[in-house]
Order: sequence, then structure tokens, then C-alpha cells
Amino acid sequence: MPDSLNSGFTVPLLLRGQVIDEATVEFGGRRGGISFRTPDLSKHLNELTLSAPSRMADLYSISLDEIFDFLAALGKRLHPADNPYLQQSFELSRATSGLSDSILRHHYNGIPSFFERDVVRDIAERLIGIDYLEGWVEQPETIKRNTRLSIRAMGARAVHIIAGNVPVVGVTTVIRNAITRSDAIIKTPSNDPLTTAAVVRTMIDMAPDHPITRHVSVAYWKGGDEQIEQHLYDPRRVEKIIAWGGFAGIKHLTQYLQPGLDLITLDPKHSSTIIGREAFTDEGTLDSVAKRLALDVGVLNQEGCVNARVVYVQSGTDTDGLERANELGKRMFAALQSLPDHLSTPHKAFDPELKAELDALAFVEDEFRLYGGRRNEGAVIVSQSDSAVDFARMLACRVANIVPIDDVDTAVRSVNSYTQTIGIFPESLKTELRDRLAFQGAQRLVSLGGAATLMRTPQPQDGIEPLRRSVKWITDESADGAYLTAMAEQR
Amino acid sequence: MSDFVENLKRDPLSFVEAHYNEGFTLRGEERDAIQLAGLRKRFAELRSALPALAKLADDQGIDAINTIDDAAPLLFPHTVYKSYPLSFIEKCQFDKLTKWLSRLTTVDVSGVDTTGIQTIDEWIARVEESTDINLIHTFGTTGKLSFLPRTKTQTRLSARLNAHTIRDFNGYNSGPDVLARHPPLISPSYRHGASAIIRGMNRMAIDYAGGYDNALFLYPDAYFSADVISLAGRLRAAEARGEAGKVSLAPALLARRDEFAARESNRAQDMDRFFEQAANRFGGKDVYLFAVWPILFEWAEEGLKRGMKGIFGPNSVLSSGGGSKGKVLPPDFKETIFEFLGFRRHYEMFGMSELMTNAPRCEHNRFHFSPVLVPYVLDPVTGQPLPRHGHQTGRLALMDLLPDSYWGGLVSGDEVTMGGFDDTCPCGRTGPYIEANVRRFSEAQGGDDKINCAGAPEAHDKAMEFLVGRI
Repeated sequence: MPDSLNSGFTVPLLLRGQVIDEATVEFGGRRGGISFRTPDLSKHLNELTLSAPSRMADLYSISLDEIFDFLAALGKRLHPADNPYLQQSFELSRATSGLSDSILRHHYNGIPSFFERDVVRDIAERLIGIDYLEGWVEQPETIKRNTRLSIRAMGARAVHIIAGNVPVVGVTTVIRNAITRSDAIIKTPSNDPLTTAAVVRTMIDMAPDHPITRHVSVAYWKGGDEQIEQHLYDPRRVEKIIAWGGFAGIKHLTQYLQPGLDLITLDPKHSSTIIGREAFTDEGTLDSVAKRLALDVGVLNQEGCVNARVVYVQSGTDTDGLERANELGKRMFAALQSLPDHLSTPHKAFDPELKAELDALAFVEDEFRLYGGRRNEGAVIVSQSDSAVDFARMLACRVANIVPIDDVDTAVRSVNSYTQTIGIFPESLKTELRDRLAFQGAQRLVSLGGAATLMRTPQPQDGIEPLRRSVKWITDESADGAYLTAMAEQR
Repeated sequence: MSDFVENLKRDPLSFVEAHYNEGFTLRGEERDAIQLAGLRKRFAELRSALPALAKLADDQGIDAINTIDDAAPLLFPHTVYKSYPLSFIEKCQFDKLTKWLSRLTTVDVSGVDTTGIQTIDEWIARVEESTDINLIHTFGTTGKLSFLPRTKTQTRLSARLNAHTIRDFNGYNSGPDVLARHPPLISPSYRHGASAIIRGMNRMAIDYAGGYDNALFLYPDAYFSADVISLAGRLRAAEARGEAGKVSLAPALLARRDEFAARESNRAQDMDRFFEQAANRFGGKDVYLFAVWPILFEWAEEGLKRGMKGIFGPNSVLSSGGGSKGKVLPPDFKETIFEFLGFRRHYEMFGMSELMTNAPRCEHNRFHFSPVLVPYVLDPVTGQPLPRHGHQTGRLALMDLLPDSYWGGLVSGDEVTMGGFDDTCPCGRTGPYIEANVRRFSEAQGGDDKINCAGAPEAHDKAMEFLVGRI
């Protein structure tokens, strides 16, 4: 660990184009035994929030094309090789993130691509509609011929409580805020307090007075700080709260909810896998299934909510069936060990509680077969009955549990509203099950292997459309004056 | 002195009948010799008899113990005594649970007939009827209980050793000999159950008090149910995940609801009766009292409210511990308790259900380990033992050398600071001690996976409400 880490990092307050780095308050990071200092946010609360909504006007003095250009120019400055802010945040993330250096580097190198003009334009078009962002869109005539309706998507004043498991969360928050012409106060997480700040700081260097810059702030405060949160979560100052986060954090937020304040939650989720009996058709198929499963478990080092944890396999539960499941487990563990470094590595901070659970499996050998799990290399637990391990909720650090089943119904019934992604093999099974899985609560169905590698096309998230919800949908209805007058005169 | 050392080297159990205080006068090399001999003895006796230990030793490639640190990789993870799948209980597969237990003890449990068993309480009773084991269960927030295969003999020895701790901790015969004096036993808790404390109290009612006639329990008829405390854990876990209401109840447990409800309705009367008997039958007498601080405080406040104080004799003894976690006690809580009780003599212990003997606290606020407990401090990340010198902070692990039918080595979930390897506590006792700043590792990460002794009755009550209120 470099000395600069030991002496403590400063996480500046980025306030509407201003950099405030007189840091006086100290906090601990979530991992790595490091701490960081920030300015005392309570002294800047009035500048942080936008109490006069009229101050949103400047965002409407520029066109969406200008916003795309602005973001594209920003993206060009976000190459880690020559951006000192990103270099510093990378150093801090190395200590606080659950991702290994090689994976972090891969994600950092990918940051500029998020800002490319076509990519941003595609998001705006697919997730909201450029015409709605840019102006009032007159709706097709309806059966009520005397009225006309126009709709526009308007920005809102929002607090974003972002997750720190992968750096891209903060990056997309900045982009989403810009294209929706919103005003963002971004609360950064203690396990990645600097990445978002690095992006916004670069923006400040580039154009401190640009409306987009003036409408994004980045701050750290400890979740639960009443003085700060009471000020912020007030419908006079903020209209939306967009919260990624743990159950306790979101539950805590709900105490501030009142009419006029909209909470959009991207809750913690668990993802799983359903593999049909076709996986065992022949050697080649089984190998490919094992590799694709290794991707769903291993990519992002299983730090994402998209990653597979419990894996239902229709191998059968008789002796032959268990043997098939064990064979898949063995091959999948081997595939996990061979994943390329930029996608997955042994976990740098293997959870000791999970390790204790894995160690204890040696005492129930009849019930569970364990591949790996000796150090931090990851593991595959193959249940020798159709029950998952009792600690399924703790599965992380590249540890998966294969559960053999006779009938896919067992897997379908395990899905609930806390299930996000389900990787499925073969495709025909996905088509067959997709309506039922959706009823059960699943939110994203992917081809096996795609859980953490797809998401290429902008799409809904966690069963909602967060972008459509983060804007305000304003309507303008017109009617002929004579038609309205006639109503008053009706007898 | 050397007899004491030689006896301990030959058999750690000789400590039970020795002068307890001598355990804290050993020189470092004497203690090391005793502990190394004890580790070797237990490893030699138990390796071939316990499949669980054999497997661990094979995996670690350990055939011999030449230093105390050599045994560190053989300490069981704290998850071992709850390593059975919960489905065994949910699907009433108590035959499988018994088979699982057989890997952890040298006592033959193959004769346990599990036919018809539907609840954990029934299983615990069946094991007790048909073998020498009286199982001890712990409490966990996940609802999964640890089951420790302690024998009836071990429970008795454990109570004797506790008596000798009281007698000798501050010097040989400095405290009352509760085994000889037979003081009345007072327990502001459940009479029936299989937690370590309840098992101990029942043994003490016989061995200390001379029988149940000379003992007073707050709930003399109620059973501290393993099934209910397991439900409590599952409820807490479900609540933490926002899934409360989804917890399903076993039919066998639902069937016992009326029985539980009847007991619950007696609560207020139980409390009245307890205070009435404490004052009228045992008032002014020298008693033996065992309870954790928060429960004592609750009891003392209630008693003082009723105008009762100074109720017991001046030579009474209180054993306590369990911390105050989860409850905020006022800074002078001990004074309130002593005012109510009428005496101050107390022994505060650091202990775990898994240990046969506890570590008493000295006047310098340190908990001292007797030579039959081999303490380790492990690096929290690598699990490697930290050097046995100076002061070390990390994960506490212990090898209890007393049990001869199960493996006493266990890695705890506690973060501790340990000293005493090469310094002597100002109290004059030699040997390893831990500072009072013990905390759960999971606490440091913002959560806790364990309902401790102080929180258990409350969790039990809460689950009972859920159970009784459920139609």
C-alpha cells in the first residue's frame, strides 16, 4: 500500500462547478483499513440543494445535441492513462473495492466509451425518446377529437445514492443526469468514494460554468446523518431520490418519504441460473455450459447483483443425476480458474465468514461436494439433494452452489421478487419459462453466460424504467375555446 | 507445585480437583509444557475416533503436534457445530441429524431411535434418554442452532470447576465452597431447556444447592425451547431481508401453540411468585446466584420498584457475564443490582457455550485463561496464528483441553486483544489474558450473527409472541 493511502485520502466536495477540498471530517473506508477526509458538508447544505426551481432554466438554454457534444468531449478527457483524478481514484479503489486490479483497470479503461456520442444518444432515444427530451411531443389524435395533448420529459432535482460495487454506476449516473437535464446530488459510497468525483472534477476543469457542470454535485456523508438528510429529503428542495443500496439503507430512507418526494429504488438483488437437461447431451455441450456458467458466476468477481449464486441444474437427483451434477461442478470450477484476468481473478478479500461455512462443509460430505474453496480461488458446492446450502445468501467471492433437480418447477418456485437475473440454458427453456419466471418476480432473463457480460443494449433495470421515472412527465392539453365555452352553456 | 504441573501434563482433567488459583502461578515454560502435552494427548485420543477431526488433519497434512502453533490449523471453524443442513430439521430427518452428530463425538449415538421425532426439543430429549450426551444448543440469528455433544459427566465436571473458580480465584479458599455449603440457588430464568446456562443451572441446583427444593427459578415450569429460539432466529433473518411474514411454521410446532400460550399467560404470576419466594424463603440467606447483567438489572429495578432491597445474605455469590450488548444500561447499573441483592461479591466470566470452563475477570478488568484453555489469536485475514508474545489483536481461538469425547478446538467470532504471554497482569496472575474490549467480528462490519446470552430470552419471547399470535 502506497504511503499516500496511509496518510488518508481527501474526498473533495464538488459543488455545482466549485471544488471544495478543505477537508475536516474523517471517515473509514469499507475495506482495506483506510480512511478518508471530506469537507464538512453541513456547512454547505444551502448551496448543495436548489431551493429555487427556476434555477433549472439554464439547462433549457442548450440543446440535446450540445449536451451530447459536451459529454463526448468529457469522455475524451477520461482516459485513465492521462487523467490524474482517475489515477488517484484508481489507487483508492484498489484498496476499497472488492474487484482485483486487473478487473478494475478493465473497467476504468472502459469509462471513455460510455461517453461516446452514439452511445449516449442511443440511451436517450431508447430509454426516454429524444423528441420528448428536446421538446413537447404532440400525441396522435384520439377519439376525443376536440382536444390535443402534448407531452414533454422534464428534468427533476434528485439525490442519487449510488452503489460502489462497480465503478460504472457513478459514471452512468452523471450521463443520465445530463441527458435528462436534471439536477443531481450524488452521494458516493464508502467503498468507492472517488470515481464519480474524478469524472465530475474533470468536467469542472473542462467547463466550470457550463449548465451541465452547474447541475451536478458530488458529496460524501455518512448514511443516516440526520442533520444532512433532513435538509435534503424535503420536497421543497428535492423531488426524487434514486437509491441503489442495501435493505437497511433503503428502509432508513423511507422515514423521510412524504407527498412530493418520489423514491426510486434499485434494491439489492440475487441472481441465479437454470440449466436444463440438454446440458448433458454430449461432452462438447457440457464443456460449453460449464464455461458459460463460470462467466455468470465469475465475471466482476461476483461483486455484482447480476452474478449467479445458486445454480439449478436439471441433472436428476438419483445417483446418476448427482454424478452428472458433480461433473458439471468439476468442469465449471476448472473453467472459473481459467477465466481471463480482466474478467475474473481469485478474490482479493475472501469473506472469512464464508470461508468458515465452506470449511464446515467437510463435516457433511454426504450432503455437499466441494470443488475448490481452499484459499481464495473460489469454489463450487454441489448439493447432493435438491436443497441449496443454508448460507446461500452469503455466496460471494466466486462461490456458487449447484443444486440438482428433477423438474425445472423446483427452480421456478425458488424465484421471488428479490431475484434479478436468471441465466438459462438452453434458449428453448428460456422461451418456455419466461412468462412464469416473470410472474414469480424475476426481472432479467439472459442466455447462460450473459448475466454479467451482456447488458449492451440500453434496457429497463430491476423491473422498472429508472430513466423514465427519474424525469417528470408533463402534459399540455389544448382544446378549442368554443368547445369549452359550450360546456358551460349546456342545458 | 511440580505435582500440579505433572498431573496437568498427564491429564488436563486433573485441574477440576486442583487448587484453581495455582493455574495462574505457572511459569511460561510450565504452562507451555502442560498445553503441548494436553494438545498431543487429545489429538492422539480423538483423531482416529472423530471422523471430522481425522478429515481436517488429513486435509492439513498434520500427523504430529510439536508446538502449540502446530495445532492451530486443527481448530474447528465456529460453523462446525451447526454444519448440518437446515433441511434435516425442516424435513424431520432426525436420523440424518443424529448421523451428523456421530462424526463429532466418540459417544455411540447409533442407538438413538429417531422414529416419530418432529421437533428439535424432542430430538434433544431422545438423545439424552438413550446416550450419555446431554446436548447443548446455542442461538444464532439465522435460526440455525449449534449442537454441542457434551456428556453428562462433562456437565457435572464443568459445574465443579466453576465452584472451584469461586473458591480459589482470589487465592485458595478465599471464597465460599458452594459444593460444601449448599447455598440456595437463585436463577432469574428458565428451569428447563438445553442452553449451556440452563444445563449448568440444573447441575448446580443439585450439586451446589443440594436439590431443587433449595433452588428458585423465575420460570420453574417453562421450557426454553430450541424450536422457538430457532424460529426467533429465522424471524430475525427474515426481518432483516424484508421478508417477514414468509417464515413457515412446522406443524409440530404449531400443535404446541396452546401449551406455549398457557405458559406465556403465567408470566406475571411467575414474576410475583419469584419475588415473593426470594424474599420469604431465601431472604437474608447466603445464596448462589447466576445471571447475566441485563437480566439482573431488569430484575433489580423491578424489585426496587416493589420496595425490596438488600434481600440476600452478605456472603452470597453472584456469577455473571454475557456483556450488556443490545441493552443500554446506566453507568451505575451494578450499584443498582448490588443495592437490591444486598451483597457485592461477584465473579464476572468470559465464556462460550462451547467451553467447559470460563475465564474470570480480575480487578484490572482482564479475563484470565486457566492452563486447560489454550488461547490463540489468529490473523483475521489469513487465519494464521499470531506470535505468542507481546499484545496481539485478532480473532480469538481456543482449545479446551477438558473434553475427552469431542474436539475442544474452536475458532470464535470474537475480536480480542490478548496479552500475558510474556508479561504479568498487575493483578499478579501469570498467563494469557484478554482485555475487556471483546467484540464480535461481524459487529465491526455492521451486523451481528449471534444472539448473545443477554439477548436470547428476549428473542425467545418475541418468537413466542409470533407463534402464539399466529392463527
